[in-house]
Amino acid sequence: MQNEKMIVCRCEEVTYKELMETKKTYNCSARELKLRTRAGMGYCGGRTCRGMIDKIAMFQDSPKNNKEVSLKYQPPIRPVSFTDLGGVKQ
Amino acid sequence: MNKVIIIGAGPSGLEAAITCREQGLDVLVLDEYMIAGGRLLGQLYEQPDGTWWNGLEESKIRYEKALELGTRFLLNTPVNNIVQTNEHWTVYTDTESFTAKHLLLATGAAETPVPVPGWTLPGVMSVGAAQVMTNVHRVKPGNRGVIIGVNVLSTAIAMELKLAGIEVVAMTLPVNSQVTNESSQPKEVMNSLLHVSHMAPSKFIKLGSRLMKNDFMKNMGVTFFPKTGVKIWDIPIQLRKAVVEIYGDNEVQGVIVATIDSKGDVVGGSEEKIKADFVCIAGGLYPLAELAAVAGCSFYYSEELGGYVPLHSERMETNLDGLYVAGNITGIEGAKVAIAQGKTAGLTIAHHAGIPGLEKDIQTSIESIERARDKAYIQFHPGVKKGKELLLAEWQNRLGE
Amino acid sequence: MKQRIIDHPVLGKIEERKLITFRFNNKEYRGFEQESIAAALLANGVRTLRHHEENGTPRGIYCNIGHCYECRVAVNGIQGVRACLTPLQEGMVIESGGRLPTTVRDWRSEDE
Repeated sequence: MQNEKMIVCRCEEVTYKELMETKKTYNCSARELKLRTRAGMGYCGGRTCRGMIDKIAMFQDSPKNNKEVSLKYQPPIRPVSFTDLGGVKQ
Repeated sequence: MNKVIIIGAGPSGLEAAITCREQGLDVLVLDEYMIAGGRLLGQLYEQPDGTWWNGLEESKIRYEKALELGTRFLLNTPVNNIVQTNEHWTVYTDTESFTAKHLLLATGAAETPVPVPGWTLPGVMSVGAAQVMTNVHRVKPGNRGVIIGVNVLSTAIAMELKLAGIEVVAMTLPVNSQVTNESSQPKEVMNSLLHVSHMAPSKFIKLGSRLMKNDFMKNMGVTFFPKTGVKIWDIPIQLRKAVVEIYGDNEVQGVIVATIDSKGDVVGGSEEKIKADFVCIAGGLYPLAELAAVAGCSFYYSEELGGYVPLHSERMETNLDGLYVAGNITGIEGAKVAIAQGKTAGLTIAHHAGIPGLEKDIQTSIESIERARDKAYIQFHPGVKKGKELLLAEWQNRLGE
Repeated sequence: MKQRIIDHPVLGKIEERKLITFRFNNKEYRGFEQESIAAALLANGVRTLRHHEENGTPRGIYCNIGHCYECRVAVNGIQGVRACLTPLQEGMVIESGGRLPTTVRDWRSEDE
């Protein structure tokens, strides 16, 4: 197995190759990289791979913005079931 | 209504709970884990005075003290959102919501992954996962392990695995890529290893750390670092080898390692297989600040502190009214610093809740954070003190705006 | 239960706890009451907790403290339960998730 097949986002099975190619083709920001590939959009909410997406997005250019978190966090930060949301007692 | 809600029952959250209760405030602590203690639970190391720092015991002592003082705990309770309305904070869990005027985020840290081809195979886990399995649950993560990533945390945990009778056959670097950078560079790793030299019984490392004060010597150190590695506690640490693949049909069966040059690039044809039934990934820790981000806190990025941290004062206040932070959410440091920060946060909350005469205690507690930092046995980043200074300067700067 | 660390040079002997019975993928196992499901399964030598919904690749615990959701299983019919932080109880019925019947894997290449 080569580096290319290496998975970065475990939830959505997005590979290193796919992310690097997307970055090179579109020169995208971390957010665009996420939206184009679904990396960071899976079950864990990007808790595992967000740092790696950031690093790939910074490849070749873009100095780190040190005052704002680069990928937005949105509630709920943990998955909530509809049963719980609807207040249905189990 | 609860006066104070604390999210996270780790060392800083527990200490803050104890402090708030001692000041007579109502306290509710929420944590998604099943046992109170957070990352403190798994810690186990021998201190310079020969006594053992037993995280499981330390957690228990603090949890029981907090309970005795009348703290309410809800374990196994993940928080999924926090919202500020009318000068109150509402904390949402799966089934209930809670309100308080003062909210402390003590959510700790998450592990930074280092991707390696094959790292989704069962049997590959973060080094912290292996630590918790071994020391907290008393279950072996496997019988023969390889640790990928050589740093302060992984070195300490390698020793803990060894202590529990689990064989660690190698500690190596990850294969380099855009996402591994420093952790796959022998020189950078060597540099950071110098800060754990006091933990090593190996003469080579101890002697080496004194010699390698400048860049030239560090380069030499990497160049002459034995290809077979240096043993610490009988665990071969290999800075000149990297894992290029983890293999196995349905579970880990081993790793393929290759020799790397001083820049971290693989020397072709040097690949060899090492059999193992578990693999630990050790990329270090980063502050887990997602709730602070959701709340709209101001942030600051600091390499020395491990990533993005909510901007905060020495008294552990954020820029949002009634929202405080303590522990690893403010930067990656040891449990003793986190405990000291928890105390400061607790006192600051009590002060804002209207309890008079705490000014002196707050100042003393801030000083003890400094002291804990200076005396820290394990330092995650050599520049942590500087990182804290820069963060404080940024805090004061933005307050002025 | 061969993977238990019974004696530890610093932490001492393992705490005596109540042994209970549970089921994982239609097989019966024994574990300690209130320990995490993941710990009980690993103690029994079980590492594969689910298969990926898309590609069917096997997965086990990764972070072990609730961050990564790799260990999610169905417990007594409720899906998405993290094995690493759910306490084991007598008679629990635990099931792995697996590959979903419809694939969406091709959308990326077609889109570009």
